[in-house]
Amino acid sequence: MSEYILRTKNLTKKYKHNYALENVNLNIKQGEIYGFIGQNGAGKSTLLRLITGLAFPTEGTIEWFGNDDPKGLTNAQKRMGALIESPALFPNMSAFENLEIQRIQRGIPGRESIDNILQLVGLMDTKNKKVKNFSMGMKQRLGIGIALLSDPEFLLLDEPINGLDPTGIVELRELIKNINHEKGITVLISSHILSELHLLATSFGIIHKGKLMEELTAKELDEKCRQYLQIKVDRPAIASTVLEQELATSDFEIMQDGTIKLYDYLDDIRTVSLALTQKGLIMEHLSQNGDSLESYFSKVIEEGEHE
Amino acid sequence: MNNLLKVEWYKLQRNKSFWVITLTVSALSVLFHCLIITEWWMMSGTPFDAAGLGELNGLGVFTVPFIFNLIVASLAGFFISGEFSNNGIIRTQMMSGHNRSKIYLAKYLIFSFGSLMITILIPLITALIIVSAFGYAEIWSVENLQFLSRAYSLFTIQFLGYTAIIMLLSIITEESGKTILFSILLNIVMIGMQQFPSESIVGVIYNYSIFQQFSDVFTPMMLGREQIKAIVIGLWTIFVITVCGMFLFNRKEIK
Repeated sequence: MSEYILRTKNLTKKYKHNYALENVNLNIKQGEIYGFIGQNGAGKSTLLRLITGLAFPTEGTIEWFGNDDPKGLTNAQKRMGALIESPALFPNMSAFENLEIQRIQRGIPGRESIDNILQLVGLMDTKNKKVKNFSMGMKQRLGIGIALLSDPEFLLLDEPINGLDPTGIVELRELIKNINHEKGITVLISSHILSELHLLATSFGIIHKGKLMEELTAKELDEKCRQYLQIKVDRPAIASTVLEQELATSDFEIMQDGTIKLYDYLDDIRTVSLALTQKGLIMEHLSQNGDSLESYFSKVIEEGEHE
Repeated sequence: MNNLLKVEWYKLQRNKSFWVITLTVSALSVLFHCLIITEWWMMSGTPFDAAGLGELNGLGVFTVPFIFNLIVASLAGFFISGEFSNNGIIRTQMMSGHNRSKIYLAKYLIFSFGSLMITILIPLITALIIVSAFGYAEIWSVENLQFLSRAYSLFTIQFLGYTAIIMLLSIITEESGKTILFSILLNIVMIGMQQFPSESIVGVIYNYSIFQQFSDVFTPMMLGREQIKAIVIGLWTIFVITVCGMFLFNRKEIK
């Protein structure tokens, strides 16, 4: 079995003269929580609609579960659960009835699966209440419940945090983490709320104006967003010894140009400066650097603008 | 396919519009039959009149395309098109791992069954009850029953062709209001076509359409070849329109 649950090759979607997506090569490994970041209108929902078969690509291919045959879409759909844009619910029916429709449709035996899902998304007490009387957060949870009903291997959630209150956001985060850890479900979650995705995702894809700007793991993103002290001295080798012996830290790296990146003592620049100058080193530059998540995202987007 | 039929049936049973239309048609049907039988409403020139079944003139209302279109198009609007506009409910069905042609076919079958029930069965049943209750049970002779079963069997085939057209319309428009509006326009166009001389191309097209058959099937005496013509026109319409519908549905992008 392929290590990738989803791969796209040069995926393009064009509406008349506008590209909603352009040559997107997405790679989602099994077991990942893949955070798909992009501004509103960047092409996140379009990509999810192509993956789930709601829309068709202009060019390029989609490989679901290692199979890129377009005829395999219906089989792939059986293994996927999705919440695209707003939750698609019958307002005049109860939560139970909405789930029952999906249960019958997907041929899932036994009504106990519905109770399990209602329990999981915390709607057991309101299962007979009509959906039109639900809050946005409750609808969102029911939408996620519907996506989970068929026990999917791959869950796609498009902006699931929208409309949730702070408690709801925390609950949703825990729910996604749990189903990923306990059931091994691969999750693709799109959002424009960076901080939230950062707490959840193990891999990221940054999309801007229909182009996938970058794919990176959470570790790589953390590295790129890590704060450090940038030190430039006349003798970097001696500075390195000072850091190890005087300041008892090895959390630094010496770059090719001799600049030192120190990831420690971020709140105590004075101590670092003193230790180095006391050893007779000439300090050419000392500053705190590094991107925040937002500034890194902005940088990537800006690079995309100049391309 | 079985699951799709079950789910469409489940949705139809819980569709408010379906019950509102059913109750309205039931009430109107009872009212028409009562008014006609008690001669409060003198109705003549219906196909039932021509067959010597004037007591059933109330049924005539439900065999006129312009009238039954309001029932069929309203149901299509709220049962089929509504799924596209109402929070995009159709999305979950399209992502459920079923072939789109089968989804379309299941929707068509259940929608047609619902339409058939409201437009044909309810008026017939109310007619049966009211006519019998008012002491005209003698009209249920073998000869008359033969006429009614032949006429209604052929009418049902044409009717299924009509539901196929309205289903296609509702898939294209994706909105209940537009479905009703365009179905009324379609009927106006067909009334216009009816006025053309029968030897003109438009006239020939109309004569070989289900719209002509809606009245032809109630002719008291129908020859064998006329019955075959009605069956072929009805089945051909169902087949062509449903295949066109499936073709469009398979290429439809869901918002």
